[in-house]
Amino acid sequence: MYTAPLRALIDELGRLPGVGPKSAQRMAFHLLRVPTEDALRLADAIVAVKERTTLCTRCFNVAEGGGMCAVCSDERRDVTVTCVVEDPRDIVAVERTGQFKGRYHVLQGALNPLEGVGPEQLRVKELLQRVDEEGTEEVILCTNPNLEWEATAMYLAKLLTPFGFRVTKLASGLPVGGDLEYADELTLGRALEGRRELDA
Amino acid sequence: MVDFRSLRSVCLEPDPAGTTVLTGANGTGKTTLLEAVGYAATLRSFRGGTREAMVRAGADRALVRATLEREGRPALIEAELVANGRSRAQLNRQPVRSRHQLARVVAVTVFSPVDLALVQGGPSGRRELLDEALVAVDPTAGELLDRVDRVLRQRAALLRQAGGRVGPDVLHTLEVWDDRLAAGGETLATGRQGLAGRLGPLVGEAYRALAAGRDLEGVTLAYQRSWEGPLLDALRAARRDDLRRAVTTVGPHRDDLVLGFDGRDARTQASQGQQRCLALSLRLAVHRLVAAETGTAPLLLLDDVFSELDPDRSRALVCSLPPGQALLTTAVPLPEGMEVARVVPVASLTTAPATAGHDERLSAPAPRPEGVP
Ligand SMILES: Nc1ncnc2c1ncn2[C@@H]1O[C@H](COP(=O)(O)OP(=O)(O)OP(=O)(O)O)[C@@H](O)[C@H]1O
Ligand SMILES: [Mg+2]
Ligand SMILES: [Zn+2]
Repeated sequence: MYTAPLRALIDELGRLPGVGPKSAQRMAFHLLRVPTEDALRLADAIVAVKERTTLCTRCFNVAEGGGMCAVCSDERRDVTVTCVVEDPRDIVAVERTGQFKGRYHVLQGALNPLEGVGPEQLRVKELLQRVDEEGTEEVILCTNPNLEWEATAMYLAKLLTPFGFRVTKLASGLPVGGDLEYADELTLGRALEGRRELDA
Repeated sequence: MVDFRSLRSVCLEPDPAGTTVLTGANGTGKTTLLEAVGYAATLRSFRGGTREAMVRAGADRALVRATLEREGRPALIEAELVANGRSRAQLNRQPVRSRHQLARVVAVTVFSPVDLALVQGGPSGRRELLDEALVAVDPTAGELLDRVDRVLRQRAALLRQAGGRVGPDVLHTLEVWDDRLAAGGETLATGRQGLAGRLGPLVGEAYRALAAGRDLEGVTLAYQRSWEGPLLDALRAARRDDLRRAVTTVGPHRDDLVLGFDGRDARTQASQGQQRCLALSLRLAVHRLVAAETGTAPLLLLDDVFSELDPDRSRALVCSLPPGQALLTTAVPLPEGMEVARVVPVASLTTAPATAGHDERLSAPAPRPEGVP
């Protein structure tokens, strides 16, 4: 029914998050129809993102060429405030608010024993080392409002408060169970402004 | 429903406001029809059927689609059961993340011969009874239950991974989950306890009506926590034991609803007839409480209840039910005075040609409304 390359493309597209077999088929036939250079641009973008994107050596955000990310390379950022997020996508959400001038730390996940994720699987040690060395005064736990992130925030607060850091979390107002990346700028901005001390 | 147990493709239209009686010989699919309706409302089988058992032998998936209306608002529930795979459900063509979400659009009360286990069996059935009622009357309860359940599973996974060792890392993370469990567990236990308090008088009243003056013993309900004092302290105290056994030994998942019968434990010291009557009273009390607190009587599913009751008790049960939509199966004559709005011989459904235009698959999800994640 399909040629082998078409079958392969449909299978690959169908593996992407949120793409079912029907949409995969539609996308594949669309790519077949568009001018070759348009399709190749997509292919090149995929290759480039895989070849040239690395993790920031300081904060584990996405970076280019094995160095530091755009935020860490920016001299004007406030070194005394570090915002801890789960995932680089959360940085995009916070940056959109334009309200945060400090640096980030990407934990690369949340505590989740069911999926075998404990503190050792997260960039926790690196965080402790950074706040110790970089003159950090405040750590903002910019967590998605779900169970695993609440647990992670509390865990980090327990580790950090004994060393005298100010540990805060976003004010409520974010939809429960909603992802940070979907929160609109205004809500997230307000949550950032109204952040509160976390009791560990 | 499509490929649900013995049913290949069946469309049932019950009377919207009164009682619909499903008739047929043994094994024609009467209970199956109620089970399918119950599944659409709760994503569970009231007779404890597994997913594989509910999918018709030889088929790979079953589908139940229900259109309903509550307080003038229409809703479409679609539930797909996959014999070896993940089951899915959609509410108004949006994926259902938790089965408790459905409680916002439909509540059901099931009476069935297996209810006796509510009184005779272990605490889990009684906790479930309370939780279902809680979800029906309190819009925040579903999320709380899902949360507590998830913390318990996270904690269990952590205990298993610790393998009995109590390193500082394990202690630190356990501490965090305990804190979450304590917060959710206290709220849940308080909610259940309040509910048990409101339910108590209704159970007593229902029992007296059903027993029709024959045993006028006092029925009591007591919610019994599996811990004393603050839950967080109890969890800390139990930690060593929990680590050794790799289970959480205190918390809302270990609580019970103790049914007393004139000061004795109904589970071990009431007669079989008294137990049956008490089980019925519990269901009836929940039904009336949900009807009173939400303003809408739950959809009633009565599976073969009259064959277990004598005529007096059957009549008393019928008289105690508030008016509303009901589906009923029976192998014996209906009690006198029961009003029936529609009679549906099950054989007439199963032999009817499959209705054209009834899709055998889940509907395609509707696009998300703008601005809603
Ligand atoms: N997975 C399945 N696939 C096919 N048939 C099934 C499946 N599970 C159950 N059945 C059959 O479905 C039929 C209907 O069972 P059901 O329990 O609904 O009968 P009933 O009408 O309630 O009978 P009774 O009056 O004895 O209670 C039975 O004949 C049973 O063997
Ligand atoms: Mg039956
Ligand atoms: Zn960086």
